[in-house]
Amino acid sequence: MKWILFAWKNVMRNKRRSLTAMLITAMGTAAVLIGGGFALFTYESLEEMTARDSGHVVLAAARGFDNDEDVPLQHGLSGAAALATHYATLPGVRAVAPRIQFSGLISNGDKSAVFIGSGVDPALDFRLRGPQLGFVAGEAPGPSDAVPEVAIGDELAKLMKAKVGGSLTLLATTTEGNLNAVDVIVRGIVRTGVPDIDRRLVMTDIRAVQRLLLTDKVGSLAIYLKDTAQTAAMAAQVKATHPELAVRTWGDLAVFYQAVRALYNRIFGILGLIMVVIVAFAMSNTLGMAVVERTREIGTLRAIGTQPGEVVRNFVLEGVAIGAAGAAIGMLAAGATTLALLFAGLEMPPPPGRSAGYPLLLAFSAPLYLGATLVVVALAAAAAWLVSRRAAHKPITEALAHV
Amino acid sequence: MNAPTLELAARASTVRLTDLRKRYRVGDDWAEALKGVSLTAAAGEMVALTGPSGSGKSTLLNLAGLIDTQDAGTREIAGRPVDGLDDAALTSLRREQVGFIFQGFNLVPVMNVADNVEYPLLLLGRAPAERRRKVAEILERTGLTGLAGRLPDALSGGQRQRVAIARALVKSPSLVIADEPTANLDSHTAQQIVDLLRELSHERGAAVVVATHDERMSAHCDRVLRLADGELVDAHGAPTGPAEEKQAKSELIAPHPLTPAPGRGRPTGSLSSTVTRDSATGTSSVKGERQ
Repeated sequence: MKWILFAWKNVMRNKRRSLTAMLITAMGTAAVLIGGGFALFTYESLEEMTARDSGHVVLAAARGFDNDEDVPLQHGLSGAAALATHYATLPGVRAVAPRIQFSGLISNGDKSAVFIGSGVDPALDFRLRGPQLGFVAGEAPGPSDAVPEVAIGDELAKLMKAKVGGSLTLLATTTEGNLNAVDVIVRGIVRTGVPDIDRRLVMTDIRAVQRLLLTDKVGSLAIYLKDTAQTAAMAAQVKATHPELAVRTWGDLAVFYQAVRALYNRIFGILGLIMVVIVAFAMSNTLGMAVVERTREIGTLRAIGTQPGEVVRNFVLEGVAIGAAGAAIGMLAAGATTLALLFAGLEMPPPPGRSAGYPLLLAFSAPLYLGATLVVVALAAAAAWLVSRRAAHKPITEALAHV
Repeated sequence: MNAPTLELAARASTVRLTDLRKRYRVGDDWAEALKGVSLTAAAGEMVALTGPSGSGKSTLLNLAGLIDTQDAGTREIAGRPVDGLDDAALTSLRREQVGFIFQGFNLVPVMNVADNVEYPLLLLGRAPAERRRKVAEILERTGLTGLAGRLPDALSGGQRQRVAIARALVKSPSLVIADEPTANLDSHTAQQIVDLLRELSHERGAAVVVATHDERMSAHCDRVLRLADGELVDAHGAPTGPAEEKQAKSELIAPHPLTPAPGRGRPTGSLSSTVTRDSATGTSSVKGERQ
């Protein structure tokens, strides 16, 4: 305790210089925490978005993910209902949703366009996808016992001049390779925020799709978990229970998420590196000047029996004190910024390929804060060790003669 | 000479320097700072080193204080040979056995008086209660009790040197090295510092080797050794000649009133020292005797 107190008194010896080093350290820490918080928020948002879209674990027949089918659902999954029931009862599973991805032409009688369709369980799927599937008009389609109902993308609705309650025709190739058509009623108009998707999107009851494609198979089963962290464990369990099935996790299917993550990791990694260099320079400069100014004092302490390692330790403690104080200020600044943004309601502009912005928020991560603090403190300690090592080993008579 | 001869070498708390030689590189040449000087000091003894600037006082002081190494010769502190010890061992020895008093006080400015004095005990790993007790005791002895919480900047020169003395003696070292301790002090304060140093070193059984230009200081030391051009010289300033191997008595000092009385384990009577020149080795050495 005495040594820590001694170190702090030495830090306060030149208040202005120490304060400058602390502020530089604080700014570096805050920059890393704010940048890291933004990246983490983005990762979490994309993770949630992807997991809500695809499900945490997706099952398909053996070649179900190969995309090399000759006819629709050639590699479809049979007996999906039994599988869904089995997995839906497992602990940690929120829901199991059957899906069929299909495509074809959509027509309003006057003109046609290509659509990319998704056969879903209407009662389940729109709830699972949550707010990312915003309804511009109407509501989620119901079961397809009578005339099938659809929800279509807002761009497609514009193209088809479709309104809620209007009628459209879907034309698709069946599993036997023939063309089949079904009339549908527009029950809802949705927006995903990705114009390319909104120009093609059709969502309807999976049973209507099965009737259109003349099959009882499904394309895949999406298992939604209560905790995303359990994804790998569930995937392993499925592989062990049904080795004949192909299994993918949301991460395997999230190409956009992976790309953004790789990009942000690089950007914020470089930012972190720059901050590390700045903090290292600030600490080296501050402590280096302190060491030079106190050379005579170091000589005195050495003369009266302080080991070189103890001299270095004292300077390292000073570095740690400056680093810890700077990191604490930086954490407070980053925490305050995180809170301020939570209440400010600022929006980021739409990313490339998207039509909607997203909220500018920062994620709070205790491991990130702890990690940044440890890095800054370790950096300060290393800088102090580096600059004081030589002075501590300087011949005592030379140190005492230092002016 | 019926008075007991000081058994300087045999006592545990002595410093014995034998035939020390030291030279420094000056440009392309070598300057000899010490040309084979020997010195022995006993517990409680105060030895003054005098001589002009460049005579080798500081070099001898540095060697005695184990903060420099000689080119030739041997050293013993507290009966232990120190040559060949590595830096860590020498530092440990200084920590335990050597106290330093500097001309410029060299107190740590961010530490208050008590902390400065406590520092050597902290290095020795003494328990907090023991540290507090010893610090309180020496502060009282040095008249600094009321100033314990003050920073060095808030003290006068004399008070600072008192702190330095307290710091040097708080651990009861075998040897105290003092480099011009009264140089920056006025006459009255210098007298007080000399008395205090003498009193405490006797009390704690520490040998004191003090380099000084100050005659007031040397007048109160048990022995005065003169150095000139890296050699011990006699009272007249002449190096002791190898041919005659003469014994040149250094200035004899009257017994100081603070010199402990017989029976207390302290040296008694007046002290004299002799400078002898060994014709075989060409070195000079000093031996103290009580008369």
